[in-house]
Amino acid sequence: MTPDMFFLLASVLFSIGLVGLVSRRNLFVLYMSLELMLSAVNLLLATFSKVLGDASGSVIALLIIAVIAAEAALFLAMIIHLYRTHRTVDSDSFNKLRERV
Amino acid sequence: MLEISIFTILALFILGGSIVMIINRQTLFSAFGFLVAMIGLAGMFALLDSRFLALAQIMVSVGAVVVLSMLTILTINAKPENLPLESNKYKWILFSTILVLPITLLIYRSTTALYQSFSTMEPISSKIVGKLLFSNWVLPFEIVSILLLTAMVGAIVIARNNNTKIDHPETEENA
Repeated sequence: MTPDMFFLLASVLFSIGLVGLVSRRNLFVLYMSLELMLSAVNLLLATFSKVLGDASGSVIALLIIAVIAAEAALFLAMIIHLYRTHRTVDSDSFNKLRERV
Repeated sequence: MLEISIFTILALFILGGSIVMIINRQTLFSAFGFLVAMIGLAGMFALLDSRFLALAQIMVSVGAVVVLSMLTILTINAKPENLPLESNKYKWILFSTILVLPITLLIYRSTTALYQSFSTMEPISSKIVGKLLFSNWVLPFEIVSILLLTAMVGAIVIARNNNTKIDHPETEENA
């Protein structure tokens, strides 16, 4: 078991999250892709913590898990609010702030 | 050898779950893929000997975040015609995969150039993590607690239904 495998898995996971974020329009899938990218960073931090034998990486990953929880609460509240006002979860239809000249 | 096979199984779970999450049109099925990926990630943390991190991943990410998002999906209960159409979804996914591939290679190359092997095989015990969390990392810990409180208040304020017209449309018409 070498760190390379973990690094490869973390980078592929981050890229899958980025692909989902760029190419999908469902708000829930966007939210889950964001969470996936954050979790890939978490995996990278845990791997570095193991590589260096230093527990600080695990502590940063714990703090990032707390940030993930906060982000989930806010994002889901925003999705509920947007669905209540627009009756859709299509991210292309939320264009109220678009420039109109 | 055993570790490599465990790693392979967990990686297959994680990658399969995340790809299912990206591709599926039904939102609940994507949430199930996300759930599988999160459980696999918790197993990966356990494989990396970060025991407390694996526990926190199971408790927070799987137990709270995924369940909360599934509850939201079921509450919203969007009909298939209310979901975005996305007729050429696979084309977009293929295109953005080709665009993102150099970033993947960049992350992989830059991280593997740093370290080639694990320096220690000792598990990262919860005791050390707790001591670090309350000595060196106590300020970020407190900031995270304030962030969680703010997120809770913000979520309540954003999701609250303060438009009474939506609540009672018939009283509006009668008046």
